[in-house]
Amino acid sequence: MNRLKNNSYQVGKIVAFCCNYTASVSTDTLRDADLIPENLDVRKLPCTGCIEVSALLDAFEQGAEAVFVAGCRSGECHNLSGSRRAEKRVVYTKRLLEELNIDPDRVEMFFVHRGETQPIVDAVRQMTRRILKLGQLHST
Amino acid sequence: MIIAEQKPLDEIMEMISGVEKLLVLGCRGCVAVCSAGGDKEVGVLASALRLGRKKAGKPIEIDEETYVRQCDPEYLEPLKEDGKKYDAVLSMACGVGVNFIADRCPGVNVLPALNTTFYGANLSSGEWAEMCAGCGACILHLTGGLCPVARCAKSLSNGPCGGSVGGRCEINKDVPCIWHQICDKLTSRKQDQLLREIVPIRDWRPSGHGGPRRRIREDLLP
Repeated sequence: MNRLKNNSYQVGKIVAFCCNYTASVSTDTLRDADLIPENLDVRKLPCTGCIEVSALLDAFEQGAEAVFVAGCRSGECHNLSGSRRAEKRVVYTKRLLEELNIDPDRVEMFFVHRGETQPIVDAVRQMTRRILKLGQLHST
Repeated sequence: MIIAEQKPLDEIMEMISGVEKLLVLGCRGCVAVCSAGGDKEVGVLASALRLGRKKAGKPIEIDEETYVRQCDPEYLEPLKEDGKKYDAVLSMACGVGVNFIADRCPGVNVLPALNTTFYGANLSSGEWAEMCAGCGACILHLTGGLCPVARCAKSLSNGPCGGSVGGRCEINKDVPCIWHQICDKLTSRKQDQLLREIVPIRDWRPSGHGGPRRRIREDLLP
């Protein structure tokens, strides 16, 4: 995990919209251990089901190189279908990005069990790898 | 309600290629209910256009606003002057709103963000279906309330075409044969004598074939 903190690769900002009940617990644990990379902007949501497509696009507009949503696993959502709704909005956002000639891989949905840190670490690594592969979206 | 859907982004991007200051203008009428042009959709489209233009190296200034309706003159009043501050106003109303802005707000360069598609009903969240063709000569009293003009692929007036199989239309198995449904419904209500009535050849003039339509109610005129 230290590599995650130390090698944030200067890839640019990654915005993570995290469910307050599950993924945010994981990011809090990582933050307490000082393992959150500097380029990761964690935004807590009461439920990922309330994420709007415009919020995902706004994150890119504000300079994110990649955006992901981390919600509850299927069947574990406190609001029953919140993370499933979020997933649909991520899919819709991918379509819009594609229409704008922006690689849809820059946005992704991840499912996390409450308190698990490894899926968040894996998500950040995966998005970092994608940015490195795709190149910078925003000129520095 | 009127159902519409957003035009492809590349078509809109092409439309606004020379625009530096844009107003994305939503409507809280039908297009808000069918999730095509309300407040949320204004936010998404404005954000997408800003992002697309930024990526293209041609940033754009975009304001966002949503009117109660774009098809009533009182709501368009502020746009007559405010609209001139923009290189273009991208209307997220149906075609009626776009036309009305063009008529009522000279000097405002109005562009359409939506394709207006049909009169429909909301089947479930995110799904709409055509139920009325606005033909101007309703025969629903003869057909159990089910419209063969809008819901029969051939708009037949006197029964099914013979191409349907198992109650499904020959154009697509996902489309129910509306005449099959009409027959079932009228028979179950013991109103099948209505099926023996011959509906004369339709006069399509009220449907718009006689030119643009207009309705006047004298008692309401100013």
